[in-house]
Amino acid sequence: MKKIIYSIFSALLLANGLMSCGITTTEQVINPNNPSLSSVTSNATKGQLDALAIGQIGRARDGIDTYTQVVGTAGKELFNFNSTENRWMTELNGTKPLDNSNFYGGATTAFGPAVRQANTLIAAVANTKSVTAQEASGYLGLANTFKGLANLYELNVQYTNGVRLNVEDPLKPSKFATYDESLAGIKKFLDDGAAQLDAAGATFPFAMPATYAGFNTPANFKKFNRAIALRVAIYQKDWAGAAALLPQTFLSETGSLTAGPSHTFNPTNPDVGNPLINTSTVRIVGVEKLWNDAEVGDLRLKKLSVISPSISFTNGVVYATKYLANMYNSASSSVPIIRNEELVLIAAEVAAQQGKTADATKYINIVRMAAGLKNYAGVTDKDALINAILKERAYSLWYEGHRWVDMRRYGKLSEITLPVAGMAIYDKMPRPLAEVNWDIANP
Amino acid sequence: MKKILLLSVLALLGLCGQLLAQDKLITGKIVDAKDGSPLPGVSIAVRGSNKGTTTDAMGNYKVNASGNAVLSISFVGYSSQDVKIGNRSEVNVQLTESINQLSEVVVSGLATSVKRSNLANSVGTVSASQLTGTTTPITTDGALYGKLAGVTIQQNTSMPGGGFNVQLRGVSTLGASGSQPLFIVDGVYIDNSQSANGRGVANKATSGSNSDSQDNNPNRLADLNPDDIESMEVLKGASAAALYGTRANAGVVIITTKRGKGGKTKISFGQDIGFGEAQRFFGGAEWTEQKIKDWFNPDDIPAFKAAKASGKYYDYERELYGEKGIIKNTRLSLTGGDERTKFYVNGSLADEKGIIKNTGFTRASIRANIDHKINKWLDFGISSNYVFTNTDRGWAGNDNSNINYGYSIPYTHPWVDLHPDATGRYPDNDPAVGENPLAIRDRATNNLKVNRFIQGFTANARIINSATTGLTFRLNGGFDVQSGYSLVYLPADLQSQLAEKNPGLAQDSRNEVTNTNFQASLIFTKSLMDNGLNLTTSAGLVRLNSTGRYTFSRGQGLPVGVNTPAGGSVITSIPFYQSNTDVGIFAQQEANYQDKIIATAGIRFDKSTLNGEFDRFYAFPRGSVALNLAKFGTWAGEKVNQMKVRIAYGETGGVPTFGTPYTNLNVISVGGIGGLTVSTGGGNPKIQPERATELEYGVDFGLFGGRLTGELTLYNKKVFDLIQPLTTAPTTGLSSVQTNLADLENKGVEFSLGGTPVKTKNFSWTMNAIYYQNRSVITRLGIPTRNTGAFGATFGSYRIKLDRSPTEVVGNPKTDPADATSFTVYGDHQPKFNLSLNNTFHYKNFDLTVLGEYRHQFTVISLARELFDEGGTTSDWNSTSLNKGSSGKPATGADVVPNGISRQNANGIIDGVIQEGYNPSVVSFFKLREVGLYYKIPSGVVKKAFRNAVEGIKVGFSGSNLFMWTDYKSGYDPENSNFGTQAINAGVDIGSIPPVRRLMFRLTIDL
Repeated sequence: MKKIIYSIFSALLLANGLMSCGITTTEQVINPNNPSLSSVTSNATKGQLDALAIGQIGRARDGIDTYTQVVGTAGKELFNFNSTENRWMTELNGTKPLDNSNFYGGATTAFGPAVRQANTLIAAVANTKSVTAQEASGYLGLANTFKGLANLYELNVQYTNGVRLNVEDPLKPSKFATYDESLAGIKKFLDDGAAQLDAAGATFPFAMPATYAGFNTPANFKKFNRAIALRVAIYQKDWAGAAALLPQTFLSETGSLTAGPSHTFNPTNPDVGNPLINTSTVRIVGVEKLWNDAEVGDLRLKKLSVISPSISFTNGVVYATKYLANMYNSASSSVPIIRNEELVLIAAEVAAQQGKTADATKYINIVRMAAGLKNYAGVTDKDALINAILKERAYSLWYEGHRWVDMRRYGKLSEITLPVAGMAIYDKMPRPLAEVNWDIANP
Repeated sequence: MKKILLLSVLALLGLCGQLLAQDKLITGKIVDAKDGSPLPGVSIAVRGSNKGTTTDAMGNYKVNASGNAVLSISFVGYSSQDVKIGNRSEVNVQLTESINQLSEVVVSGLATSVKRSNLANSVGTVSASQLTGTTTPITTDGALYGKLAGVTIQQNTSMPGGGFNVQLRGVSTLGASGSQPLFIVDGVYIDNSQSANGRGVANKATSGSNSDSQDNNPNRLADLNPDDIESMEVLKGASAAALYGTRANAGVVIITTKRGKGGKTKISFGQDIGFGEAQRFFGGAEWTEQKIKDWFNPDDIPAFKAAKASGKYYDYERELYGEKGIIKNTRLSLTGGDERTKFYVNGSLADEKGIIKNTGFTRASIRANIDHKINKWLDFGISSNYVFTNTDRGWAGNDNSNINYGYSIPYTHPWVDLHPDATGRYPDNDPAVGENPLAIRDRATNNLKVNRFIQGFTANARIINSATTGLTFRLNGGFDVQSGYSLVYLPADLQSQLAEKNPGLAQDSRNEVTNTNFQASLIFTKSLMDNGLNLTTSAGLVRLNSTGRYTFSRGQGLPVGVNTPAGGSVITSIPFYQSNTDVGIFAQQEANYQDKIIATAGIRFDKSTLNGEFDRFYAFPRGSVALNLAKFGTWAGEKVNQMKVRIAYGETGGVPTFGTPYTNLNVISVGGIGGLTVSTGGGNPKIQPERATELEYGVDFGLFGGRLTGELTLYNKKVFDLIQPLTTAPTTGLSSVQTNLADLENKGVEFSLGGTPVKTKNFSWTMNAIYYQNRSVITRLGIPTRNTGAFGATFGSYRIKLDRSPTEVVGNPKTDPADATSFTVYGDHQPKFNLSLNNTFHYKNFDLTVLGEYRHQFTVISLARELFDEGGTTSDWNSTSLNKGSSGKPATGADVVPNGISRQNANGIIDGVIQEGYNPSVVSFFKLREVGLYYKIPSGVVKKAFRNAVEGIKVGFSGSNLFMWTDYKSGYDPENSNFGTQAINAGVDIGSIPPVRRLMFRLTIDL
């Protein structure tokens, strides 16, 4: 018995020994792979804010591929002949019902991260003393401009479904606003941004990528901000407001039509490659009727290559076209966010709406001349001018995400020719299932 | 570690005195009751003490025991016996084979074991002969099909090297914790992950991240040579696995490898040779000019006519998948040793080629298990295993780049000649298909090599070893070090690559995984009431650590012929690190009253750095009682050998995956300027482990001398605080946050029945039937309902919804077009029930074993047929048997369209009927899993022929998956799964390859 007691005693000693060698001690594992969000939510340094600002410019690129391709398909200006995903041709063209739970929901949801980045940057600026008020305004102006833009993309896709205007706490988002409320809310983001840019001094505290040349000071960047606000104004049919905004943008009657800020791309990680280029599976093609109808000699046809024999698609929908997109030739090609050409055509539209026929034709002709075409010679009443402008926009802004929105705001979706019998044209995309489920769970 | 070892040795040296020595030497021989042949390796235990031994190669043993002691004689596969010694000094025993293994020894804790007849849980055990006796499996998990109740195994792909999803008793996690059981080999916690190697990025099945289930790689259990395994014990739920704490929610599989039995050195040589071939094909529809004109590209008609005329008209499916892949498996083992040292050494080389050229799996494995007794009270054993595997997994599954042949074959038209020309160049495929599958087969690389070393050790010090008291101190543990190297390579001049802006891709991935674990325990046994009451107390400490370093570099824009990433014009290089440490403390008390009442209570406390509160201990208790009714009184008589009722309760945990507490800021670059973006996934620093409770009860019986045995178990396994992504409104920019806001419940029944309907001198027939079913339901959901998995509602997806099964498959069409959430419910991915039947026939020296498995009504999400329908190649594409018009409505006559078109046109519900063509399918299958026919050449003949140099020769044929019946019409095989081993999102069939039937000839020579 004695021996047992000794043994147990020794065993306890041993156990104690094991404990004291730290066998039960563990240390917290600090994230070895990434910095964490909490490092910037309070007392962020200027360097961290700069990094978030660059992150904002990077986030602004997210989703433009899905957006331009979904909106382009919806407006029957282009198709995505995707060899491994026929829903681009079937569901998005109405031969089957639209789904609310798959990849093309990204045309709406992919803009969420840009909004969250903006809200994070805005909150980080509010919770730090490491930058001056003027520097702070620079960050805020940038954030609000891109927040407005991201929301506008979402709204273009969701249309009368509206958007959530306040998602500052992602776990307590506001309900969906109506279409008109949404536009007003987006205008407010942009106007706030403009005011902040006014207070931001002569330079931003952070460097901007080269594709923002000409828009890399608060004053110049504000011209971009106002250009987006101009889009909002014409969607609101606020022609007077639009007329007042025009001079605040980078509209130039004599300058290059391609002038404007662009998204930067580079395939080398951690940058990202241009997502709009054709790949082994993604072939963006022009809808044949649209481009067959182009006027002879229209230089804008250079956006596409003419292929012979035609490129055909047979997976679920049979369609052939000879026009293959050819706008970007490298994974490093930049992608315009908004160009002078659009501003010129908006100027034409505003003039036409305000009955300034001469101005309207002047602006139309700027674009036509650049496209190698003769001056506009058609009827100059308002409806005819608007139709002429919509036509120029279809060619000038092809694969930039406008045709569907343009035809919708003039109630002309039904005028679009269906390329294949059985196709249909939607006026909006379904609200994503996760958004629906959220509201069911959080009434 | 050194410190610990030193300390323990010091402690042991200090405290160990002399042993009590009133014992006498008992000797004896254990033989098989059937034919009197000696049984080596039988364990002889002196009841109520820690003393014991095993028989040598001739069945002899020696043990010290007192006269009033009882010897417990047990051996896997035989009924155990308790024998009183009395005044004998020689105790010879005959053991009879048992079909239900009542007598085998099963683990009952982290340091103790119990006889199966006294077990209070349903623990599944597979012996070596069940595992590899009938046919030679390439991987261990693949050898478990149909052999255990409650164990559902699904093969993700028939590519060589396996890849299995093992689910024990329904659903244990909804995906955020480990979905696979914990595998422990000789005390070492081994890694069973699926390596990522970037194949899913190369073919754009996924974008960005390197860690992806769509890489379709084997799970690393593939590294373990099944032939080394002596037994596998499957702890299916929390009640049996509670002492494994936070690692055990998905169950625990304890693998014991073969060990030396002493005696004369035995050499065994085995050779399998055989082949695998495709079991069925799917395509092959005929083409006509009219079909091309009506439904495809009329520009192809001249090429079609020319191909028909010249005979260059091909069936690429049968060509690509039509190889006979040679299977070879060579084994050479040596076992032997003496009283003090025993060894088992086994070298094996397994080599299996796929049914597609340039696919295959090779495993070279060497194992040395050595046991040594230092003295009467101190022994140790080591288990060393070095493995090298080389896997070529080819290109099947989901794809967004035209590269996978599994994806391009359905679209490839027979009139396109894809064979290399005289200069060796591969012609381009139709641009709409985008790639030549033969070029991918012959020129692309998807290779994975793994070097792995698994080392286990155990040391026992029997501090006290008297007739009635035992105290043992045990140290055990080990490490698993794995180094993986992978190359994924797409030459720059492939058709699909030339369509990219930076053609060519080479990715070099390195995976370094190190697991270490260590356990120290004390086991105290006490025999009271003249051996009537046996008490076993065990307690100890467990620590395990896992680190992983995963790095890859990927080069794109490569010069032709260059397969090193550094040659690329765009180079991506990303490292990823993870590490975690778990610490556990356990204690367990077992009591056995005359084998009548066996009760156990235990508890484990666990902490893990993976939890939000990294230093908090969570408690996992267990308790169980078994009553051997047949031992109460004499009512049982001769006919009832066993009648046991049992009940057990236990709790386990499931840790979050690495990184769950963190909300990352991701590094990006914009035009050369670095920046940070907020990750769309939100971390939860308060994340808790998932927690399971299980109540299990049942009855075991054995009748007519073991001729009829059975086991019935009911269980209720609940999982609380399931880690679930709170799917937020995605336009907030936050896609999800991990929460603990869900619970679920699994209820199931497991029933197995074994019998020996015929048993004569020359002929016997034994059979074993297994039935089990499980139903899962989500009982709490504090997050919004969410659809998850697969490719959206169009093709079907999983849905997590309150009061529904977590493996429910829903999809389009919507039953109410106005309701965005009114998905059609197709069924459950879990089968309604599983049934398997194993029959073994012995006739003289012939053995025939036949194992079949049936799964009833489970739902798979199939996109396989969709691809063939789009390509016009489904075997029934041209038929109009569905009698549908082009609108999807019933045809009125001339407007009838081919089935292949009608299925693609399926659009909603017409007249209350979901149109044929939607992709989820509710299916059943029967598979003939294993068949083996062997002949053992009579030993007299062998010995005469080889002048006693050879002990025995056995020859025979075997096959696996020889036959399948299924009502699955939407793909090759309803088992296929694109997304790898996951709890949710299994059973998505896309771009897959045919199931494989394997046939082998086996020769075994024992020297």
